Amino acid sequence: MKTRSMLSIMFSARFAFCAVLLLTATLPFAGCRLPGKPGEGPEVPRPEQVTNFDTLYGSNCAGCHGANGQNGSAMNLANPTYQSLVDDATLRDVIANGEPGTLMPAFGTKQGGMLTEQQIDAIVAGLRARWNKGNVLAGQNAPAYKAAHAGDAAKGEQAYQTACAQCHEAAPQKPAQGGSIRDGSFLALVNEQTIRTTVIAGRPDLGMPDWRGLVKGRALSEDEITDVTAWLMAQKPATPGQPYPGAGQQGPARIPTPNPVKQ
Amino acid sequence: MAWYKNIYDWLEHRLQLEGPIKHEIMHPVPRKTASWWYVFGSASFVLLMLQIVTGILLGLVYAPSAAHAWDSLQVLNHDLPLGWFLRAMHGWGSNFMVAVVLIHMAQVFLFGAHKYPRELTWVLGVFMLLMTLGMAFTGQVLRFDQDSYWGLGIGASIMGRVPFIGGPLVHLMLGGPMINGATLTRFFALHVFVIPGTLLAFTAMHVWMVLKLGINEWPTPGRIVRRETYIAEYTELAHKDGLPFVPGAVWKDLVFSAAILFAVAVCAAVFGPYGPTGTPDPTIIATVPKPDFFFLWLYTVLSFLPPELETPFLLIVPPIAVAILVALPFVAGVGEKSWWRRPVAVFSVMFIAICFGVFTHLGTYTPWSPIMNAWSGAPIPVELLHNRTPLERQGANVLQQKQCRNCHQLGGLGGQRGPALDTVATRLTEDQLIRQVLQGGGNMPAYGAALSPAETTALVAYLKTLRPHYQPPAVDASRGVVAMNTK
Amino acid sequence: MDEHPVAGAAEDLSRRTFLMKVGIALNAAVALAIATPVVAYLLGPVIKRKEYLQWIALGSADDFAAGETKLVSFQNPFSNSWDGATAQVPAYVRRTGTGSGASDFTVFAINCAHLGCPVRWFKESQLFMCPCHGGVYYADGNRASGPPERGLFTYEVKLDNGKLLIDAGQIPTLSNRASADGPCSGGEWPQEPAEKALANIVKTIEPYKPNPYESPRG
Repeated sequence: MKTRSMLSIMFSARFAFCAVLLLTATLPFAGCRLPGKPGEGPEVPRPEQVTNFDTLYGSNCAGCHGANGQNGSAMNLANPTYQSLVDDATLRDVIANGEPGTLMPAFGTKQGGMLTEQQIDAIVAGLRARWNKGNVLAGQNAPAYKAAHAGDAAKGEQAYQTACAQCHEAAPQKPAQGGSIRDGSFLALVNEQTIRTTVIAGRPDLGMPDWRGLVKGRALSEDEITDVTAWLMAQKPATPGQPYPGAGQQGPARIPTPNPVKQ
Repeated sequence: MAWYKNIYDWLEHRLQLEGPIKHEIMHPVPRKTASWWYVFGSASFVLLMLQIVTGILLGLVYAPSAAHAWDSLQVLNHDLPLGWFLRAMHGWGSNFMVAVVLIHMAQVFLFGAHKYPRELTWVLGVFMLLMTLGMAFTGQVLRFDQDSYWGLGIGASIMGRVPFIGGPLVHLMLGGPMINGATLTRFFALHVFVIPGTLLAFTAMHVWMVLKLGINEWPTPGRIVRRETYIAEYTELAHKDGLPFVPGAVWKDLVFSAAILFAVAVCAAVFGPYGPTGTPDPTIIATVPKPDFFFLWLYTVLSFLPPELETPFLLIVPPIAVAILVALPFVAGVGEKSWWRRPVAVFSVMFIAICFGVFTHLGTYTPWSPIMNAWSGAPIPVELLHNRTPLERQGANVLQQKQCRNCHQLGGLGGQRGPALDTVATRLTEDQLIRQVLQGGGNMPAYGAALSPAETTALVAYLKTLRPHYQPPAVDASRGVVAMNTK
Repeated sequence: MDEHPVAGAAEDLSRRTFLMKVGIALNAAVALAIATPVVAYLLGPVIKRKEYLQWIALGSADDFAAGETKLVSFQNPFSNSWDGATAQVPAYVRRTGTGSGASDFTVFAINCAHLGCPVRWFKESQLFMCPCHGGVYYADGNRASGPPERGLFTYEVKLDNGKLLIDAGQIPTLSNRASADGPCSGGEWPQEPAEKALANIVKTIEPYKPNPYESPRG
């Protein structure tokens, strides 16, 4: 009995000694590269100090524009043609103030968003660095981003039938594989610029060609693009999305503010 | 005579501690209690010592001022050699301490050690547990980051639910009308002086009683605790089949304590310190406050309680729980000690442990919280956008833009507050989708005021496409009946 | 322990016992005298309630566009130099109409009515969402879903020379309204007229409007 307890003392002493030795042996390494050592800067920076493009894009843009700038529900940002078409000031403006008439919200702090001007600059710079492949439109006689003058809706239908109808729809209720773009609700959620940009830059991620590939053998002209845009926007009904169009004559009828849902 | 022996004798001649200490540490304990199951109490004590030492060391640098506390933690983390390691030791030490204290408590309860004559030891232990949790909460406050700031807000909101005196209680807790410097200084005083002082005094009494009443014998089925005979039986057991506490039992305590300290150090070195998360500026609202690990279960419970039950639960359950724990040794102070003969006790511990585990697990990923940037950050899986018409793609834009993703998942990304929408078209018809979107219900807000008719049309058009090709869309059964009747 | 011989006779002992009791009584009296200020000191934050609430300017009324909800922050009127960033308090200003009356403005506290976490405004869906337990509120502050048992807390608003002012200064909880009109301490606190207090209470109780589209157990 006595010997056993003596033995156990010795055992524990040796164990404790080993433990202490191990501990002291690890301590000198602590200064250099233990995995737990915090990295530079605060663990969680102030939200406005985040200027990393991946972080900003991943939390503000990826939802609609896709994880890699393509295959999203909204505009294909990783499209070199689009990148060449749009200038920095426009990108900055659209991010900060949104695109009126569309679902693109305003992200700038002045508009109640979360992004500072520096962060918007960082996003623009990042978009360019990642997806701008130089000016692919140089010498292509490309139309400008913004229309120089208002389009002629009357001429637009002709352009629609030559350039768009084969993939979208020749007549209402007869959509082709590309789906209808004459749907009232669709037209209510886009603006002229959406259509213009899509016609010029295309949606390579979805297989839609740019303005050079819409009609066989030639590129669409500036006037055709402006006219078809005007014509399409003119197709928007007065009360888009209403199942009973006659019901609300005073603009789009809205459902009144709902009651608080009580449980 | 060696010089150190001379010094020892000189001191002992004046202190006269050798006799009482020898008497205490050599007292016999029942042989079977020299078990690995009996090491958690001493480990808790060692962890308390670790917390005091590391706490004092952190106190050399920490500035208990709302304007500077966070900055002083940055200095500890980044500028002082191994300051981060001390923070990590203190943080992980607290986690280990709560865990070991809880294990100690469960073990004591399952071994019947709370029974006669050790009732007061148990009651003191209950209050020591509460103080340990109090240390964990106040410690989290001293880390004065965003979690701490809004954690105080949660505390204030709970206080504010007390009837009649809720308002004054909030002001008392915060040291004023708002969370600010006065709040931090009073939590500093609690964390550094009040609670540790009391905890040390209670620990001293707790240990004193363990020494005086002896370590609980190994529970044997059929060995019944009776007030009249227990002391005599225990003394006989300890003397007939016993060991001196030192070294018979203490070596296991020493080994386990060393192992625990080493584990704390390893965790600290590998996982590093906790935060601090963002600077405690309340105007930064892009924050997702979350409590530390040992309060996650409470965070979970608070999300699942129906509104009308919340205040009663918060105000009634904690006092009842404490009352049950305190009353336990008086209600069940005698009788069987063995877990083989105490099924209710065993199942209670299992039930509480499972609840704690489940709630904590839920708390780690908070399925009830909206994910605030999912609407703009969580992409829709490519296959769920494949071959969609322009209208449906705009509907997907509406789905994102109206923050639906904050509560609804697609492809495993997004909030989990509401059901995932990947296969929603197999569950809801077009009419049901429209109604659900516009009127809400089932804990979903009504979006009628936020959606134009075009947006609703597009959104529902997209939602209708969300089903696997091998599953039919949901149908309204009543339409079939109507169609049959009209034939 | 050594046995200490007791010196003196029995009557001597009783005299000393009496003197010891006098000593204890003296200490108790002094302790009580010291305890009173200590208790008052500890209760300071509760007694001082009167100073907490003040009218605070949030800027010109023209800074807020009609139909929009905007995040603002103001300086807590009751703050010290060492409060740092915590002296600031955020709030949401909602301007409902183009008019310039106080009734065109609603100022919401940032704190969720559930457990005080900061709610975030989403203008696209016109909802406030709370990151903690998923409380959701409509644009007018009414509860939309989740665990809160009431709508968002609001501050009392007034307009003075085109400036928007709110009555603020304490963290809103179910006991302490954002603008305190809750239980108050005796005469120190200016009493409200009974009918105004009643109107405030009635205002905060939302009439139960059954939702025709919802099953009884939502």
